Amino acid sequence: MIELNAVTKLYGTLAAVDNVSFSVKAGEYFALLGPNGAGKTTIVKMLLDFTPPSSGALSLNGFASTNAASRAAVGYLAENHHIPPYLSGWQYLERCAQLLDIKPSYVPDQCRRIVEQIGMQGREHSKAETYSKGMIQRFGLGAALIGEPKLLILDEPTSGLDPIGIREIRLILESFKCQGMTIFLNSHLLSEVEKICDNAAIINQGKLLVKDTIAALVKDGDTLEDVFVRLVKG
Amino acid sequence: MPKPLVPVIRIAKYTIADEVRQRSFIVMSVICAVFIFLVRGCYHGEYMVNGRELDGGQMVIMVSKITFHVIAAGVMFLAALLSMRLFGRERNDGTQSCILSKPITRWQYVGGKVLGLWVLLTVFMFVLHGIVFAITSINLRVVMPEYLMASLLCSFNLLFIVVTVLLLSLMMPDVAAFLCIMGIGFMGSVADGIHAVSHHPMMEQIMMQQQGAQPEISFWQVVYYLWPKLAGAQHYAASLIGSEGISEPGAVYPLINIITYCLILGALLFWRFGKEDIV
Repeated sequence: MIELNAVTKLYGTLAAVDNVSFSVKAGEYFALLGPNGAGKTTIVKMLLDFTPPSSGALSLNGFASTNAASRAAVGYLAENHHIPPYLSGWQYLERCAQLLDIKPSYVPDQCRRIVEQIGMQGREHSKAETYSKGMIQRFGLGAALIGEPKLLILDEPTSGLDPIGIREIRLILESFKCQGMTIFLNSHLLSEVEKICDNAAIINQGKLLVKDTIAALVKDGDTLEDVFVRLVKG
Repeated sequence: MPKPLVPVIRIAKYTIADEVRQRSFIVMSVICAVFIFLVRGCYHGEYMVNGRELDGGQMVIMVSKITFHVIAAGVMFLAALLSMRLFGRERNDGTQSCILSKPITRWQYVGGKVLGLWVLLTVFMFVLHGIVFAITSINLRVVMPEYLMASLLCSFNLLFIVVTVLLLSLMMPDVAAFLCIMGIGFMGSVADGIHAVSHHPMMEQIMMQQQGAQPEISFWQVVYYLWPKLAGAQHYAASLIGSEGISEPGAVYPLINIITYCLILGALLFWRFGKEDIV
């Protein structure tokens, strides 16, 4: 589903991503972990063709990431998601659905189902300027779910949320597990990752340190946090 | 409709819906409404100079031309204001990354933005010119269909401004892009003015006496021919109004100049945006 092959991204002489290779299979709940500035968001940006790699190749759904068709069944939630303040959550979801060329007669049903899924019934017609950060993040997740994507790419989906908001987003993500969706979660909230993901990769200073199942990484009474600190601090 | 054009049309539609909510658009709409309300008065009454009544028909054409220029210049100003913030705003409010994370190519995104802004501004200018056309047709029974034709020709100026400011806003701060387009317009007007003065028979004679029979190609002559001819294209469009007609065969050159610039700068805009990092 996702393939990175010897990917490097240079900003001047600084290697934000340094010769990284890994793959994510269909149905996996995968977490890309790393401290701030490790290169996680850069990898997400390269996957979505927001920025080109300096060398190497990336593919999504069997297409090169530079091909727009690779994003056909992909939902994306950006870190610090925004909604234009004059739109309501419903209008925002409708726009996203129309951009995906969903049949106009299916759009209201799909939006209604998603509003229920993200638990925003009753607030969907209020303007985005009245939403809290958590509500905007939920509508962002809703927008990513439009078109029934096979792959969700979530860049710090719980960034800036309070513990209740974080838990709510986690519960929503867990509910997708039975639907066979693949999730690429970019986060540094290790406790949440430990609860929902099956596999993880840890990167630091652009270099891939390890990629394995969570069960293989966390052994002997350790937590993911212990493993993360040990690997990152060397 | 060809499938690749469907997202372009959708993005254009959202661009129009978003831009009419912008403060600069609302303020300019109010200013234009007040201007047209005031101009209405110019079409009533009789004009006397030194006790002699002026020809009513000629007055209508003259006032209509002035109104035409003021509206066109105002909408060009609005075009620069709306275009300068477009990419920056969409980057900040997440619209850009939201659209481009879908199976939509960058050329479809930029195409939709340019088309949306251009259509909005052209319709806005056409409606304002249309109101003046309706006033002259209903109140004075002077029908000038060429007024509307001239308005449509001026829309190429709007396209030029949209494309240029969008391109510049990718390379410099928004305000600098706005000032640049103002500078381009100003420089073009100065070059047109110098050209007009230097081609006056009296001026030509003076220059011949000073330089001999061989006139030199000056910096301003080069600027006059190669610089984007915003004012020239507008004057060409305005020359269609009334009975003036097109006197010189080269009068259409400013329009060709602007269309050529639109094509070149449009290609540069698509190329430059393709290299842009999406935040």
